[in-house]
Amino acid sequence: MARWGMVIDLTRCVGCYACMIACKQEHFVPPGVFWGRLLVTETGKYPRVRKISIPVLCNHCEEAICVKVCPTGASARRKDGIVTVDPDKCEGCRYCVVACPYQQRTYLQEKNKEYFPAQGLTEFEKIGQILYPHEARSVTKCNFCAERIDDGIRKGLKPGLDREATPACVNMCMVKARRFGDLDDPDNPVSVLIRERKAHPLHPELGSKPSVYYVD
Amino acid sequence: MKPYEWMVRYTPQTDWVQGGGLLIWLSFFAGILGSGSYLVSLYFDSAAGALVSWLVIVVLKGGLHIADARKPLGLWRMILRVRTSWIARGMVFTICLVLFGAIQLVLSYESPGSSFETLFKALTGIAAASVLLYEGFTINCLVGIPFWSSALLPAILVSWGIFQGLALVGFAGFQADDRKALGAGNTVFLAVTVVLTVLYFWNAAYAGATSKESVKEIVTGRLGLLFWIGTVAIGFAAPGAMLLGGYDADPVARATLFVLEALGCLSFTYAVFRAGLYSPLI
Repeated sequence: MARWGMVIDLTRCVGCYACMIACKQEHFVPPGVFWGRLLVTETGKYPRVRKISIPVLCNHCEEAICVKVCPTGASARRKDGIVTVDPDKCEGCRYCVVACPYQQRTYLQEKNKEYFPAQGLTEFEKIGQILYPHEARSVTKCNFCAERIDDGIRKGLKPGLDREATPACVNMCMVKARRFGDLDDPDNPVSVLIRERKAHPLHPELGSKPSVYYVD
Repeated sequence: MKPYEWMVRYTPQTDWVQGGGLLIWLSFFAGILGSGSYLVSLYFDSAAGALVSWLVIVVLKGGLHIADARKPLGLWRMILRVRTSWIARGMVFTICLVLFGAIQLVLSYESPGSSFETLFKALTGIAAASVLLYEGFTINCLVGIPFWSSALLPAILVSWGIFQGLALVGFAGFQADDRKALGAGNTVFLAVTVVLTVLYFWNAAYAGATSKESVKEIVTGRLGLLFWIGTVAIGFAAPGAMLLGGYDADPVARATLFVLEALGCLSFTYAVFRAGLYSPLI
């Protein structure tokens, strides 16, 4: 069984926010909620200041703290390493939201929130509520586009190599800063990148063993 | 917090202190109060105190949890997750406290002094102690918020539980013979709570940059007013002055003492929740 992971090359990222928008479109993510984000900050002191952008998303940790603390079993880690939330089991206690040291979970307070308040739902939002309903008072987060991966594998495609089976944010990245693949396969481009470019996860000291790595 | 500061600087947790999250904070407080006072009631053999504590757990804590739950009928799933989740363990401890407590209260009324009553007193005591302990461990185990990851935090919450439990039993289930013991116990636990709070902040200030920032927020920052007035003045100084002046037999004074201590605990737990900061992601 594969263990899906991602490598983000920060030397390539131009901070265009396309990954954030692609994710929003793919999953019809409601206003105010982001499954993937782009953090922008700066390093150094004037006059040597450098702007840096770091895309962040759920790290799908091997030792996921959110899964351990979930009291109902709504948060679970699949065999392929993807951490998911089952909204039917979620009781909305927000323990996982508070426990995630990467702050990548969001408690969805209300349903039917409009992108354009008082103007009603757009056609796109209406379609989203049918295709990808988000349950109110439950927790939501990035799922590595698990439905694309599952469908792709059923069709005999390879996630990370075939666009149809690859997460939307990876497809959308115009500078190919994001790579997706099987971390357990030493010949997979993702594993090679981690090995050769000495990629590292965010805050490895927390011991959660994230599946998202960064090259800088 | 401005968008460009989010996650790249210290980010406060907001999920348990804003909107519906306030119910979680209040149920946290109710758990500390109810279980602490139940233990005190058992120690002083106060049936009235035990009944009030039981009601705090059932009505206040249980009610708040049910109000916050998305599907209250789905809460049974928590029983299956006691191996890894402190909230699930807490749920089981609370159910035990409610069930054993109900039986013990009936036995205290129907057949006081019987061996069954003693057995259920022991079981209820264990359940109450477990509820009191789990509250602290629920937040203490979260490594993402360094300020909470202190072994002193569960100890402080236990101390707060017994401290205000003594005041609640002193008010609700007062027995003239125990007046001195209740007063002395309250004074001792007030002192213990103050010492533990100082040690906790002292320890957190040297435990790393993020927890130091949390301490700053409480002591001199945006939570300063709440902490100094709510916890120190109302929760520590005013009850301390009342206790040093003698544990009054006047019911109004006893009620005032309880209200002051409860307000102190509310403000302390709220400050600790609000000061829970995540380390910058980058």
